[in-house]
Amino acid sequence: MSNPSETSEIVLEVTDLKTHFATPAGEVKSVDGVSFSVRRGEILGLVGESGSGKSITGFSIIGLVDPPGRNVGGSILFKGEDLLAASEKQLRTLRGNRIAMIFQDPMMTLNPVLSVKTHMVETVLAHESVSRAEALRRSIEALRMVGISQPETRIESYPHEFSGGMRQRVAIAIALLHKPDLIIADEPTTALDVTIQSQILSEVQVLCRELGMGLIWISHDLGVVAGLADRIAVMYAGRIVEQGDVDQILDRPKHPYTAGLIGSAPAANRRGERLTQIRGSAPHPLRRPEGCAFRTRCDFSTDACLQEPTETIGAADYRWRCFNPLGATEATS
Amino acid sequence: MSEIFAEARNVSKRFTHEPDFAERIASKLGAVSTRKVVHALDGVDLTIEKGEVVGLVGESGCGKSTLGRIIAGMIPATEGDVLVKGEKRDSLRGQAAREARLKTQIIFQDPMSSLNPRKRVLDIVGEAPVAHGLIKRGEKRKLVEDLLETVGLDPSMTDRYPHQFSGGQRQRLGIARALAVKPEFLVCDESIAALDISIQAQVINLFMDLRKSFDLTYLFISHDLGVVNHIADRVVIMYLGRVVESGRVEDIFERPNHPYTAALLAEVPSIDKRHRTFTTIKGEIPSPVSPPSGCHFHPRCPHAFERCRIERPALVDLGGRHQSACHLNELPERPDFNMSIQGEGRV
Ligand SMILES: Nc1ncnc2c1ncn2[C@@H]1O[C@H](COP(=O)(O)OP(=O)(O)OP(=O)(O)O)[C@@H](O)[C@H]1O
Ligand SMILES: Nc1ncnc2c1ncn2[C@@H]1O[C@H](COP(=O)(O)OP(=O)(O)OP(=O)(O)O)[C@@H](O)[C@H]1O
Ligand code: SF4
Ligand code: SF4
Ligand SMILES: [Mg+2]
Ligand SMILES: [Mg+2]
Repeated sequence: MSNPSETSEIVLEVTDLKTHFATPAGEVKSVDGVSFSVRRGEILGLVGESGSGKSITGFSIIGLVDPPGRNVGGSILFKGEDLLAASEKQLRTLRGNRIAMIFQDPMMTLNPVLSVKTHMVETVLAHESVSRAEALRRSIEALRMVGISQPETRIESYPHEFSGGMRQRVAIAIALLHKPDLIIADEPTTALDVTIQSQILSEVQVLCRELGMGLIWISHDLGVVAGLADRIAVMYAGRIVEQGDVDQILDRPKHPYTAGLIGSAPAANRRGERLTQIRGSAPHPLRRPEGCAFRTRCDFSTDACLQEPTETIGAADYRWRCFNPLGATEATS
Repeated sequence: MSEIFAEARNVSKRFTHEPDFAERIASKLGAVSTRKVVHALDGVDLTIEKGEVVGLVGESGCGKSTLGRIIAGMIPATEGDVLVKGEKRDSLRGQAAREARLKTQIIFQDPMSSLNPRKRVLDIVGEAPVAHGLIKRGEKRKLVEDLLETVGLDPSMTDRYPHQFSGGQRQRLGIARALAVKPEFLVCDESIAALDISIQAQVINLFMDLRKSFDLTYLFISHDLGVVNHIADRVVIMYLGRVVESGRVEDIFERPNHPYTAALLAEVPSIDKRHRTFTTIKGEIPSPVSPPSGCHFHPRCPHAFERCRIERPALVDLGGRHQSACHLNELPERPDFNMSIQGEGRV
């Protein structure tokens, strides 16, 4: 922290993070050397293969990895403070207050036997000394922000009385309650119609642009990420295989997996026809190929790929891990 | 005309919020009743032909899952009938009712809430086909391994528990479980929403293959208009408990009639739209507890006029199985629809 002007710009800096699960069958390397950073007001879109470690990366940052999962290396600096060295008590104060996570499954945030009101009011009171009435007022306001109508009455409801998408909006409202410095949002709008999705995206965009909140938006919807994010990181098998500016990644991807993802979206295919698939399927986490983990599915692999590709760093902090990066011409095919 | 497989006729569903103890006391003491009724479905008609893929789209909370559950026979309708192959679902008894339930499988939205956390994949997926005599107990492991392979999961995961899977992997367990009993009709409730695009592509291709080889019929509930556009033959758009438009996929996407449909299409995210400034919704988002009068969409509709506040527009035929419920269709001249109804950006 010798140079405050530079460090204060960076909200989160993750370096060589490793989170593994010890299972009877072997060590599952869910997150295996992940590095990235998020600046004030910056939105990072985190995309990638199902099971590649996106959620576990989020859980690691917020300190919610359950055993047999554990951190086995790397560092996570939140505004210069090492979260991996933080005590449980310090983490608890940060969590929900300065860092919040919106989970893929809203029932991870919501307790089925508590009303929405109890959830929200208690969350406010846990971190701030305000009156119950003030906590309630703020909770109702947060519900309105995510497009729940008649929040004054609906706040009395229990989670099961809401539709799937409404539960998710409640979870989002809870995360936004304290206007945190960093939000990790794990596919939070996949269950919402596009007009409500835009409403929520506009709320988070305001928080990022006006309050400088950093946002990690985990999603597989490249359309949403294209419209929202400043940078994109693409994960495959526990690693970030490519990261950079949105336009760079979407228009000129260098990694064959990224190009494959873009090509399998319905929009890139004709109605009713079989979609282009990346061949093969994701490797079992215990049986990843040696060298480049994408090797067995890659159309460009060579003998070089039997070695582990290291990260190449280009201009504008564009990074990729591939021995045979795609040129601009192949990338669009 | 092709055979109708499933049909909902004038189906309504109301959920009542039971007053809690304090509220009951309050109402005994003469306070205004706090009994809240949610009109989840309000007179919905829907037909699904054999072998057809019907996409069901609409705002969060508009009643899609409720309709899917009623058509699948999981919950009863408050009013109206559901017919499957010409027979009323709730008039079936005993073996016939069990059979009908088995032939319709639903793949749920929240995989966590539908997978028993204390059971292994082997039992989650393999129990029903054994219990219903579709396979022998000794064939169970083989069947489960084959199904995992079909949905793109490693067969060696057969002995794992649900919490040991990622979100998208769990979603595929739900699909494998549904396929295990050889259904004729699949209700897919946001069943590919949690999948990354490359696996989504695999599952969509799988659905399309199954449809060809087993003549499956689908009700495909999804917010992802790109996916619906790709696989549906027909699309049904709902808004707050009612069907507002339905038609062939090309009519809905290329010639939307209802202003809500037009609004949805205008907001569809696309990989080509970068660095957008997202906008909030103009007008109040209505509540299913007290839906707006007349056309439910009128508080958000840029074309609303007096009649919309008073009278519910009927779903009328526009020709070629295209139907829409909007008063504008009776005006001599219709305004241009291809505009966003979102308000101004806040940034
Ligand atoms: N408790 C656990 N025990 C063993 N392995 C686990 C456990 N939890 C997660 N994993 C494994 O860790 C890997 C990463 O999981 P993670 O949930 O981060 O994936 P993801 O990228 O979020 O995928 P999705 O897009 O499907 O949600 C997966 O292969 C998963 O099977
Ligand atoms: N068991 C229940 N008790 C009370 N209200 C319910 C119940 N189930 C659903 N509802 C209400 O019925 C309405 C329709 O819910 P439904 O789950 O069908 O919506 P949906 O269209 O599937 O939404 P989403 O896209 O968010 O999943 C919602 O307002 C919901 O709050
Ligand atoms: S390193 Fe080799 S195998 Fe891996 S993505 Fe690049 S070309 Fe393909
Ligand atoms: S009936 Fe009126 S309010 Fe409803 S969609 Fe048509 S124009 Fe808009
Ligand atoms: Mg995940
Ligand atoms: Mg639903």
